Amino acid sequence: MQLTSEDIASIWLSLKVAVTATALSLPIGFATAWLIVFKKFRLKVLLEVLINLPLTLPPVVIGYFLLLLLGKQGWLGKLLAELHIHLLFTWKAAVIASVVVGFPLLVRSIRLGMESIDQQMLEASQTLGASWFDSLLTIIVPLSMKGILAGASLMFARSLGEFGATIIAAGNIPGKTQTIPLAIYDYASSPSSTPMALSLCLISVIISVFVLLLHELLSKKIDRSNGL
Amino acid sequence: MTDAMKKITILVFTLLTITVNAMAEELNLSVAASLKEVIKELSTNYTKKHPGTVLLNNFGSSGTLAGQIENGIPADLFIAANTEWMDYLNDKKLVVGTSKKTFAYNSLVFAGTSSKKVSSIKDLPKLEKIAIGNPKSVPAGEYAITAMKKSGVLTKLTGKLVMAKDVRECLMYAELGEVDGAFIYKTDALLAQKAKLLFVVPQELYPRVIYQIALTAKAAKNNEAKTFFAYLQGNEAKSILTKFGFSLK
Repeated sequence: MQLTSEDIASIWLSLKVAVTATALSLPIGFATAWLIVFKKFRLKVLLEVLINLPLTLPPVVIGYFLLLLLGKQGWLGKLLAELHIHLLFTWKAAVIASVVVGFPLLVRSIRLGMESIDQQMLEASQTLGASWFDSLLTIIVPLSMKGILAGASLMFARSLGEFGATIIAAGNIPGKTQTIPLAIYDYASSPSSTPMALSLCLISVIISVFVLLLHELLSKKIDRSNGL
Repeated sequence: MTDAMKKITILVFTLLTITVNAMAEELNLSVAASLKEVIKELSTNYTKKHPGTVLLNNFGSSGTLAGQIENGIPADLFIAANTEWMDYLNDKKLVVGTSKKTFAYNSLVFAGTSSKKVSSIKDLPKLEKIAIGNPKSVPAGEYAITAMKKSGVLTKLTGKLVMAKDVRECLMYAELGEVDGAFIYKTDALLAQKAKLLFVVPQELYPRVIYQIALTAKAAKNNEAKTFFAYLQGNEAKSILTKFGFSLK
């Protein structure tokens, strides 16, 4: 196993981007799932399609759209430049790319968790006079926790593996935006770097196994606390 | 499954597995990205005179191309932007050593859309982002790193270097304005629309950019390949190289 200091930087960066992307998306993902499951409104189908769109689009397309939108020529990019905010080619762009591709996975999982909640329990709480916020905290959140956990794990894992959108929107800058997949791609493009590439691949596998194990453990814990 | 569906399935699978042999002779060329326009034009001209030959061009960074050839990609000719990657394949006996010739020469420049005053390599630390070809596989990037190291600015540029997969991606970054500037070849700078040439890298800072061409081991006995190889050494090729700004000596 050979790891250069740049490789270690890429590991830290990957973890930083994945944690930030997941943390940012959780509240918004939860709110979106809640809207879809518990509220009726017109054009709900449109919202569902929009949320699921990144799941079916090739990640490079998403990256390219981000480039057009946030770049020096893009309308949002120009606006942000006035405020001295530069997102492209920084680790923030990597976070945005991960958020966009991982969001549908997060929402799906939380939705599934919420849909499995017994409607009668919610109706009972309403007849007992609980406000919507009370029901949310005491019934919906605990019972959809497995879905939230699954969604967060999926999103984290997807973020660790994000390549296409990241390389286009954030570029390949060692130390700043070069996450593990980008570093492996670097090594893979060079014929004499096989041992380096394999070392990083191994690290990638170890992190993924760890995330999956953690997910299984926490899932069982939630089952036990829910009395299953 | 109904009878008709069974028949359709068999037909589809048969069609998918039959490979239609091309009647024309196909030549696969693996060429350094900076030679794209030159080789495209030469290929067009050649096929006009030799309609029985189909030229399939694969452009990329010399390192990546060498890796592909090592892993078995069909290639009859290889043109690299430095001697390192040609030697790499030669040592593995994947190219015909005796066929190796110098194809052209080039020089390294720095181009970009930055409004900051950048007139020499010592001005680079003023910039925020600089694109270079990934030195692990792109000769232009290796030349750039050598030049930056020799002039003492490399240590001041950590975190500012955006790695591109080949020299044309560098040019693209420079054109888009997402980086302040990029290390590209003089010939790429001539094709730029928005990026301006900011300075020429002094030749003493890096080894000469030498393009080498060779037949791959696979094409050692291929007469079509040898004919095209000879064409690339001829006068028409030389004039097109000069047209695009390459040096011949």
